Amino acid sequence: MNERLYVTPYRCIDCKICEQACSLVKSKRPGVPARPRVQSFNVEGDTDFVLLCLQCDEASCQAVCPVDALVRNPVTGAIEVTDRCIECGFCVVACPFGCMDYDPANNEYIKCDVCYGDPACAKYCPTGALVWAERPLSEAEAEQRSAQRTTDPFSVPAGD
Amino acid sequence: MSKGNGRPFRDANALLARADRIRAQRAKLKHEIRICAGPGCLALGARAIHEEFLTQISEHKAELKQAGLALNTTLAEKCTGCHGMCEAGPIVTLEPEGTFYTGVKPRDAKKIVERTLLKGELVDKRLYELGHQRGGGKVEKYADIPFYSLQVRVALRNVGVVDPTSLDDFLAAGGFRGFVRALSEMTPDEVVTAVEDSGLRGRGGAGFPSGRKWRSALRVKEDRVWLICNGDEGDPGAFMDRAIMEGDPYSVLEGMMIAAYALGATDAWLYVRHEYPLAVKHLQMAIDTLENAGLLGDDILGAGMSLRIRISRGGGAFVCGESSALMRSIEGRVGEPRAKYVRSVEKGLYDQPTVLNNVESFTCVPAIIDRGAEWFASMGRDKSRGTKAFSLVGKVKHTGLIEVPMGRTLREIIYDIGGGIIDDRPFKAVQTGGPSGGCLPADKLDLPVDFDTLTRAGAMMGSGGMIVMDDHTCMVDVAKYFIHFLIGESCGKCVPCREGLRQVHDMLEKITSGRGEDGDLEKIERLCHTMEVGSLCALGKSAPYPVTSTIRYFRAEYEAHIRDKMCPAGVCPDLIMYEINKECTGCLICKDHCPTEAISGEKKKLHVIDEDACISCGICMSVCKFDAVDIKSGGVIVSRDEAVV
Amino acid sequence: MRKVRPTLDDTARMMSETNETVTITIDGRDVEAPAGAYILDVAGELDIDIPSLCAHPGLEPFGACRLCVVEIQKPGWDDWYRQLVTSCLYPVADGLKVWTNSEEVRRNREVVLDLQLARVPKSDVIGDLAREYGVERTSYAERDTDDTCIMCAICVRACDAVGRSAIATLSRGPDKYVDVPDKDACIGCLVCAHLCPTDAIAFVADDNGKRTIWDKQFDLVTDERTGEVLGTPEYLEHVRQRATDRGLRWPDEMKHESAKVKRRTYSSKLARVGRIEEPAE
Repeated sequence: MNERLYVTPYRCIDCKICEQACSLVKSKRPGVPARPRVQSFNVEGDTDFVLLCLQCDEASCQAVCPVDALVRNPVTGAIEVTDRCIECGFCVVACPFGCMDYDPANNEYIKCDVCYGDPACAKYCPTGALVWAERPLSEAEAEQRSAQRTTDPFSVPAGD
Repeated sequence: MSKGNGRPFRDANALLARADRIRAQRAKLKHEIRICAGPGCLALGARAIHEEFLTQISEHKAELKQAGLALNTTLAEKCTGCHGMCEAGPIVTLEPEGTFYTGVKPRDAKKIVERTLLKGELVDKRLYELGHQRGGGKVEKYADIPFYSLQVRVALRNVGVVDPTSLDDFLAAGGFRGFVRALSEMTPDEVVTAVEDSGLRGRGGAGFPSGRKWRSALRVKEDRVWLICNGDEGDPGAFMDRAIMEGDPYSVLEGMMIAAYALGATDAWLYVRHEYPLAVKHLQMAIDTLENAGLLGDDILGAGMSLRIRISRGGGAFVCGESSALMRSIEGRVGEPRAKYVRSVEKGLYDQPTVLNNVESFTCVPAIIDRGAEWFASMGRDKSRGTKAFSLVGKVKHTGLIEVPMGRTLREIIYDIGGGIIDDRPFKAVQTGGPSGGCLPADKLDLPVDFDTLTRAGAMMGSGGMIVMDDHTCMVDVAKYFIHFLIGESCGKCVPCREGLRQVHDMLEKITSGRGEDGDLEKIERLCHTMEVGSLCALGKSAPYPVTSTIRYFRAEYEAHIRDKMCPAGVCPDLIMYEINKECTGCLICKDHCPTEAISGEKKKLHVIDEDACISCGICMSVCKFDAVDIKSGGVIVSRDEAVV
Repeated sequence: MRKVRPTLDDTARMMSETNETVTITIDGRDVEAPAGAYILDVAGELDIDIPSLCAHPGLEPFGACRLCVVEIQKPGWDDWYRQLVTSCLYPVADGLKVWTNSEEVRRNREVVLDLQLARVPKSDVIGDLAREYGVERTSYAERDTDDTCIMCAICVRACDAVGRSAIATLSRGPDKYVDVPDKDACIGCLVCAHLCPTDAIAFVADDNGKRTIWDKQFDLVTDERTGEVLGTPEYLEHVRQRATDRGLRWPDEMKHESAKVKRRTYSSKLARVGRIEEPAE
């Protein structure tokens, strides 16, 4: 598997669908949305930007974790929080990007785990700013995707 | 105190040559005075006796010289380890004739020097009184005392014989012959095979075959194996390992050196409890001496083997005698056991393969190598071979340290060696195996003492404590006492042991105070079963044995406590009362001694004890010269001293 | 798509260097398990419920609560002979047979819960668990206490893991208790209190900018912009120390900020620096 979660910032329209998708997919109890692992921002008025965990090669979160609860999944390449977590929160302090977080709704420490190889944010991104593929979308592909989503917002692109 | 010749031995031959030289010197000795400096005799003033002997010898120097006795050539004196018969201490023996003096006081030194050494007479007053055994009378030599003549000493072979601080003495007694043989004539594999063939089983309690343990350590493919000697002897009333460590430290070290050679270990620990300062001192002296003599350290005896032995002192926790807790303690962590599903020989100290044996096991090894596995295996019975040291204590005439071949019956040990029960009272039970061992009743007296038979009978070999009890012992009270001991010593890690012991103690307390109810026994049994199968370590698993074995053999006594509110042995204070019988002469002694003034009466008139004021302390009974005080329990007289003969 | 979760495989990798698997029988089911994995973990993967109070996947197995005991039979044993073992510590091996809910196992758990209930009569967690095993009221002498500590030592092990070792068990036997002998070592991270299975550790997370645990009061550092509580100064200093010890860059002027603020700062930096523009076509 060579898919990665590719972010193409200029395509982001800060629609926050990625956040909603993440929140719902990661929800553990009906009616209680989880805190999203991905966040989109409108920076300095006109730039929209989506930020999620960079899955650093030398990750601070992993380095400070006292119980090796953060483990890189060999298949997806993402660092995941395992059940070894003792909720010390060191990772949140250590992560320079703010991508480790605590979810009070579910009482757990969270980070992007690319949904074990099926990221919901990319699946529902209408513009192709977030895509789970072996390479970023070409302009044509992105346009095609946006066109399809305009007519059918909940369609899932083929191949995903 | 001579400490070797100061120069390291170049090779094995140099060591053997020195041993021969010393033996030749010793052959000239006409007299050797051995003063027992075991813990019991030390407490009774053995050091002062030793000083006095030195003074007397120097004062009588001229006369001794005339008699052909000169100190250090034809006359020698030394302090040795425990002679075993602690009840008769302080003990002084004269070699080579084997004269045995007991209860020696410092002033006797003069008499012994003047009469025995100079005139060849005996000091009658200090000879041992045999009592009823073999027609009674005084005995001249210790070889004639059944306590000694029935013993076979292997682990204790040098205890009481050598000066524990002298390497020369040890060499003269045949020390390091086993190590030299292993090093120069045997391969490591052959050493392990010899230990396997000898049938030696761990003397610390569990009885795991030492040879098998060593073999599995050899199979583990790791760079190094660590060696530990367990000298954390915590059982109340047990002092075998203490006697060995204090009285013969070199044998322990020699056993470890042979094991290190066989297993390829380069580092070893001696874990000794803090309460044995003399053992630590002697062992440390022995280690230093051996390092200076080239027998420890690098390139031992020029054979390329290296070994370092360190002493690690325990803080006095009983549970640290458990091997996994002991290893944690050496690592500097809290001494709590772990589950041993992964054996120590695979992952022990610092997660390295570790071989742990008890002091007595290690001490047997040099003898096995020196005299052969067949010789060791020829003693004993079934799967328990060799000999075992016991500390025989309690209501037995000759308390002390003994060693017998496995398979002797309890009766032989208690009646022939121990001389029977004090005051010839009836035997009630013997508790073997330390606090978590079991109590065996009179009908088990003919059981052979070996690992498997004792375990089948609900007791265990343990490290070799043997506590004898007479008919004045309440078995419920005994069970309560041991549970109380274990409560203090449980590490408190796992639930059945920590909470279970507390609850068992509570229920026993209830029973002994007369508040027992029907169903209590079943509740205790159920709880004990869970402790036995569900605890984490051997301490917890064996903790209920004192209770289960007493319930098994003395159930009627428990039931008497519960149903009839009576203590048949007349022990439990809440269930007994004291009463004055017609023998009373009205002497007022009991009245004067009673701490609560519960006794009323006038001179020459029958005294009466006020039940409400009496606190059942029993002082009246012990001060009465006319056996006029009885113990009554449940309306029956349960104890009257002269009633039992 | 198959979800790849690093749970059992990963535990096994930690346990043994090899990728060997063994076949064992749990409650009549033949399953394959990584060699060296503990029975408790294998059963968890199979959704077989084994109660446990002192096991935590992130902490060193301990084996104190005795609830996770199961019966086993090794190959070669007589058919009638089974042994109770601690499943959180027992590594699986080929041919092992395991019964997780047999009569003997349940009886053992029942007595253990009965004992625990006598120790901590006020604990709801123990009460509920005991009821599951048919113990309504303890049959032993109850302690008169509000304390709910069951001495599982999760707090002790967690504090060791965190790197402070502030919490220790003191004394021994039935009198054993948990405390913080050296109050300076405590950094107020609340890990112990959060992990405690019976909520026995009293604490106040945030009372007017103060935190109290183990009778020690801490100040709290909050995020300047969001007002979110970030932790005690001791805690943040400990993480900084830990990070620098592990070779992570941690500039002295680095501010403590909430995740949200850090993300915002980072994205705005990227937006400025990264020349995020549409490609010219």
